[in-house]
Amino acid sequence: MSRRFLTADDVRRSGGGEIAVDPETVVTPQALEVARGLGVTIRAAGGEWREPVPDRGPDAAEEQAHPHFLPEPEDELMGTGVIVTVVGCNRPGVLAEVTAIISDRGASIRDISQKMVGDYFHMVLVVEVPEASQFNELKGALEALDAAQDYVVRVMHERVFRYMHRI
Amino acid sequence: MAFTDKEILETVRMVELETLDIRTTTLGISLLDCADPDLESTCEKVYTKIVHHARGLGEVADSIEADFGIPIVNRRIAVTPAAWIAGASGAEDLTPLALALDMAAKEVGVDFIGGFTAYVHKGFTRADEALVSTIPRALAATDHVCSSLSLASTRAGINMDAVRRFADVVLETARLTADTGALGCAKLVCFCNVVEDNPFVAGAHVGIGEPETVLNVGVSGPGVVRSALERLGPEPDLEAVASVVQRTAFKITRMGELVGREAARRLGTTFGIVDVSLAPTPAVGDSVADILELMGVERTGAPGTTAALALLTDAVKKGGVMASSSVGGLSGAFIPVSEDQGMIDAVAAGALSLAKLEAMTTVCSVGLDMVAVPGDTPADVLTGIVADEMAIGMVNHKTTAVRIIPVPGKGPGETVEWGGLLGTAIVQDPGNFGCRTLHARGGRIPAPLQSFRN
Repeated sequence: MSRRFLTADDVRRSGGGEIAVDPETVVTPQALEVARGLGVTIRAAGGEWREPVPDRGPDAAEEQAHPHFLPEPEDELMGTGVIVTVVGCNRPGVLAEVTAIISDRGASIRDISQKMVGDYFHMVLVVEVPEASQFNELKGALEALDAAQDYVVRVMHERVFRYMHRI
Repeated sequence: MAFTDKEILETVRMVELETLDIRTTTLGISLLDCADPDLESTCEKVYTKIVHHARGLGEVADSIEADFGIPIVNRRIAVTPAAWIAGASGAEDLTPLALALDMAAKEVGVDFIGGFTAYVHKGFTRADEALVSTIPRALAATDHVCSSLSLASTRAGINMDAVRRFADVVLETARLTADTGALGCAKLVCFCNVVEDNPFVAGAHVGIGEPETVLNVGVSGPGVVRSALERLGPEPDLEAVASVVQRTAFKITRMGELVGREAARRLGTTFGIVDVSLAPTPAVGDSVADILELMGVERTGAPGTTAALALLTDAVKKGGVMASSSVGGLSGAFIPVSEDQGMIDAVAAGALSLAKLEAMTTVCSVGLDMVAVPGDTPADVLTGIVADEMAIGMVNHKTTAVRIIPVPGKGPGETVEWGGLLGTAIVQDPGNFGCRTLHARGGRIPAPLQSFRN
């Protein structure tokens, strides 16, 4: 294991010039400031020292190398599903507004259901996005709808439902 | 099998209407490698290590909120008990260490950092002594630092000298933070059978068996349980009540595990535990007292309250352990008086006395929490209250805690407002009698016998 920290005190005691540290060593902000003041260079692996990626410890390293196998609750939607719920006052065009955004993003609707209670409705859409990375974009666009409108849109990842309702 | 509308709407309702949330994601960071013969260098290392590791925490929590659509209310840090790393320096005033923790918390944008802590259930090291005497100044000088002391355990008994010190520390902290209604005392807690992976403040810290870094989450949902019981109605029997609570706790815990594992993965650290605790907030409906009343007691504190709370705590734990193999921390039901509107109302109505509250702590998951007493409460009375609570934990193999606030200038029945999550408290009457001789004796209450459990 290499030296863990380089402190201001270490720099003061170094006698100036150049200090070589391991790339994993964490240099404190105070040490960097003192080094600047004294004109000392801190080097690691031949170059100037840069803050290393945090070493989260042996357990984390082990988990990165061999991720634990934890079976997820299963459902046919695994992976790319998004659940959209819309609740609000009914008026013509609501469905069109929501579905337009979904199709603009290249996502497809796998299931849709709608119920009316008086003048109010609730609608549930199960949507499949082509790539998981598009989830945020879709969520942002759909949830932006409720700012100006008379209904509320909520978008959640299918994993939330899978974890809650499937064993 | 695709989800039914009912399932989907249930989850959305929990989040949108019933204040289901991840109460805290707490990153635990071991600071054992920060010990240094020079206190200034210790502080430098502490600050640097916390910032180095926790910088990404807020971003990860935000990204999970966005990706899953589940709110993560608080981001916090827990660290190795400060006494363990301060010892090498031999310093007597550890305020600089508390300031370093505070600065690191500010830098990474967390609301609390737990770990200004010492274990003194059998005795004091020099460093423990230094830390305990620094606590009042440290809590007065910082905004985000939380402090905790381990005073007793089933295996060690109760260190009454430490209990007495704790009482003095509480009074001194109240004096130094008098201008904010003794807010410092809300960041100070003592334990029997301390929990080393607790993600909730004020008792959060990273115990000796914990990894280098670890991510723990606390999930909460009194509002969800409350609504489920409201739908159940007053007719079904108590097994039905237990079953509803269990099923609800299961769902809440599953969500906690999903978020905890994902957060740990994104941060590149290990996932520790999910603490499934019904942690109330002053928000209307987010109340454990309301749950007890829906279960069937007229007012929280009325006869039957302890039995109802026993059922609730146990059912929450059972639902939790079915949902995840990583349930830990305190897990159960919290009964912080000032943070729960239903509890405040019960105190105001004269239903919930300090004595009944103590009885409730025998079956809740923590202990006397956020209890306000008069500012002129003598030290021996505080010692007695704390010792009683420690005894309950010690004999019952249970974690108990005391977070008590002697509010300067306030007498029984008066109200103190802390605002935010800490809420409002009505000062409670500890009675007219004390335990001066017991207080003066000091020493240790020996560990209890483990057999003849009658």
